[in-house]
Amino acid sequence: MTIVEAHALTRVFPMSAGPVTAVRDASLRVNRGDYIAIGGPSGCGKSTLLHLLGCVDTPTSGAVTFEGRDVGALTDSERGRIRLTRIGFVFQRFFLLPMLTAWENIELPQAEAGVPAAERRERTRALLEYVELSGRADHLPSQLSGGEMQRVAVARALANRPALLLADEPTGELDEETGEHIAALFDRVHADGTAIVLVTHNAALAQRAKTRRIMRSGVLQ
Amino acid sequence: MTAFALAWRTARRYRARAVLAVVGVAVIGALNFDMLMLSHGLLISFADLVNSTGYDIRIAGTAGLPLARQPIDNAAALMTQIRALPEVASVAMLRTATAAAIRPDGPPEGVELMGSSDAAGLGLWRSLTGSNLDIAEGDPSLAPAVIARPMADRLKLAPGSTFSIRVRLSGSLSAMPAIPLRVVGIADFPFESQGAFVVATTMDGFRRANGGVLSDQAELMFAQSRPASGPDAAVAAIGKLRSDLRVFSNEQVIANFGKNAFTYFRQISVVLSTTTAGFSFLLVATLLTVSVNQRLGEVAALRALGIARRKIAATLLWEAALLVGIGGLCALPLGEVLALVLDRILRRMPGLPAGLHFFVFEPQSLLLHASVLIATAVVAAIYPVWLAVKLPIAQTLRQEVVS
Repeated sequence: MTIVEAHALTRVFPMSAGPVTAVRDASLRVNRGDYIAIGGPSGCGKSTLLHLLGCVDTPTSGAVTFEGRDVGALTDSERGRIRLTRIGFVFQRFFLLPMLTAWENIELPQAEAGVPAAERRERTRALLEYVELSGRADHLPSQLSGGEMQRVAVARALANRPALLLADEPTGELDEETGEHIAALFDRVHADGTAIVLVTHNAALAQRAKTRRIMRSGVLQ
Repeated sequence: MTAFALAWRTARRYRARAVLAVVGVAVIGALNFDMLMLSHGLLISFADLVNSTGYDIRIAGTAGLPLARQPIDNAAALMTQIRALPEVASVAMLRTATAAAIRPDGPPEGVELMGSSDAAGLGLWRSLTGSNLDIAEGDPSLAPAVIARPMADRLKLAPGSTFSIRVRLSGSLSAMPAIPLRVVGIADFPFESQGAFVVATTMDGFRRANGGVLSDQAELMFAQSRPASGPDAAVAAIGKLRSDLRVFSNEQVIANFGKNAFTYFRQISVVLSTTTAGFSFLLVATLLTVSVNQRLGEVAALRALGIARRKIAATLLWEAALLVGIGGLCALPLGEVLALVLDRILRRMPGLPAGLHFFVFEPQSLLLHASVLIATAVVAAIYPVWLAVKLPIAQTLRQEVVS
């Protein structure tokens, strides 16, 4: 079953020095159970493609269909709802809320999605166990290491049980050993049935994906 | 987690910024609160003072310059006529003269001598220690006197003491003999300037001080209207008796004061309170804008995760409300203390009645203070909220990574 399908996507950024085409005529289908890694040099358009797939940006031309719905025809709040409930995001810089504990960071998107309090508590407890951070539930991000912060970010991304997990350079800020732990966590997430699309420079991480694609100058190969 | 809880946690997380904002709003809010108290304070204080006398009508002569008004002539006959009016319940007169209190061990002290036909004092003195002028005790050959506290302290006088005064005649050396008075009470004279030496006595004592001869005049008369008639009818009735009188009800006196003397204070307070509200707005808007700019990546990530714009907007609004609200609450005691200090300084102006205050608390000031602060918080949050909800998610995330 197809989760998201991108068809002939092009994204042009108007710049004062002239327009820049970040993604050129890219097509991609992500099905349930997929694990896709997209590699390529810096500035080749990987993150832009990820943003288009994740409904945070709209293409200049082409179309994105998410679970059968044309994303271009959706309102901003409808796209927000899809991001909240059907997509999980993991960022290179974690972007955890610094004033909330690990527990609260994981609970936040669930509360926003209207998950009842008792179920939120159960899910959050289970997710912390899943990312092996049960003992750090009450720690603020500033009290966690980079690897621990990224594990909390993965737990947060999974909080609303998304169909698709998008990760933008998830090991970009981590050392090799910590990156390896995160890669193993992605393997578990995939094995548990969540489709993953990640963009990475990390060859070891890309190697673990079932499908590997390369982007060059905005073209997905 | 609610928007309020997020705002509270944000304020706690960025403590230095929050404390800076709260202190800034507290200081500016205190000034604003003071300006609001000043905008009506003098008028309220003046009204309290005028209404505390127990008489609701004032009668003065029209002859002479406003600052050197001549006394009312034929005062005794006028008193009888006014007393006979059905609209009037009671009438009293006041005589004043400059005099000198004779000190056995020093030079004479200048005093203001008052003669009151109302032994209870026309409401011109308060907080009496001792007795009033109507006391029957003591040597009846000595006229009773109620004196101002500063004078009692300086001349070491207490109820039961005696002292002598000599009335001064304007423009000439006084040939009046000094007469002894017995102090029956010590009081505050709110219509006189702070520290003034005042001696109040009966009309008989005043006559004695003037050598036993007194012109049939009065500097001021006070009347109390009957409740059934009201002051306006009584003012009209008294005004018809003689055309050379200026007759005002307390309400008219207060209204005239509000229109003339008070306008400057109101204008100053409006300008200053608007300016301070502007400073509050600038402070909170700047701090919130800087705060949002520091957290653009965080906000973009929240949006990418699907957190609704309205929640982010509500969080920022609550953040502004918290900073301004806590600052505004701190502004109240700070403003009260500041008002006390400023009031003390302003009341040192020469000639100002001791009972008059510039800064007077009233619930309306508090309400206006709260309204100004709420409006400030909302307006100050508009730009940061707009910045947060309108930011392009993908572009911001990309910039955050590149930076």
